[in-house]
Amino acid sequence: MNIEEQIRDILARITRVDKNIITRESTFKEIKADSLDVVQALVAVEETFGIEIPDEEAQKFQNFGDFVSFVENRVAQKERV
Amino acid sequence: MSLEGKLALVTGSGRGIGRAIALKLASQGADIIVDYFRHRESAEQTAKDIEALGVKAEVIRANVGDAAKIDELFDMIGNKFGHLDILINNAASGVGRPLADIDVKAWEWTMNINARALLLCAQRAAKLMEGRGGKVVSISSLGSRFVLPNYTVVGVSKAALEALTRYLAIELAPRGICVNAVAASAVETEALKFYFKEGLAKDTRQATPAGRMVTPEDVANVVAFLCSEEAFMIRGQIIVIDGGTSIGLLALAGKGEQ
Repeated sequence: MNIEEQIRDILARITRVDKNIITRESTFKEIKADSLDVVQALVAVEETFGIEIPDEEAQKFQNFGDFVSFVENRVAQKERV
Repeated sequence: MSLEGKLALVTGSGRGIGRAIALKLASQGADIIVDYFRHRESAEQTAKDIEALGVKAEVIRANVGDAAKIDELFDMIGNKFGHLDILINNAASGVGRPLADIDVKAWEWTMNINARALLLCAQRAAKLMEGRGGKVVSISSLGSRFVLPNYTVVGVSKAALEALTRYLAIELAPRGICVNAVAASAVETEALKFYFKEGLAKDTRQATPAGRMVTPEDVANVVAFLCSEEAFMIRGQIIVIDGGTSIGLLALAGKGEQ
């Protein structure tokens, strides 16, 4: 499973929505993720990938695609180190 | 009041009230462990500002709502320092919803961070205070005893925190550990802006006989006193810091004007 699919699974599990409706363009509001869901998803993703996503960065995410891209970059950076 | 040579853990001290407490204790000579969960940059800034006061700062990330993370946090303190003198149980979170919308997830999230964390942190801290005594101070709020809009689950968690403060105070007293809490009215912080609508600050100012809102420094000053030897005989108390709001019912009702 690639990074995007893993994050989609995590988000779907927390918000209890069908993962097939989550696209890269979906906003958190569209997938009915409230602020607590978002924080829990961030924490679960951080633990899954061993990275840190500060709130300062997370607040910039406009949609699911931004979230995925950020994690992909962080994971790539981590692998380079 | 000097805290020279003391080691203090302040949970949630990257911003707001926790940051003000960390800086106040540092200004009195204590070395500080800055715990944060979501705001690394703020925590690192707090640590820099603490070091500028001539004491040591250590930044650690731990979500105190997660029991395993609390264990990791205290394992680190035990391994690195071997002791602890002061625990400030400040980190808090919450879900601002009407009663009907509070689900199990929102309840557990809030209770675990705001109330259970005191139990778990105090259990571990007491071991690191063995033979030397210590201070435990928690940050509560007026929502533990008064009803505030959409504050149910946070208010209940703070009530649990206050009850736990009394039980801990008695159980830890023979070990020379003083346990207390402070309860403030709305304090001007980033969290307040996040959780409450714009009008709250104005309403609070108008309802405060002392004429202004409580600041993080107001809270930090009382916490620092509770951490001092001068406060040794204060046990299991919840000190209210609200500029008279909670006793000024007429002012609250808008009928207190002469």
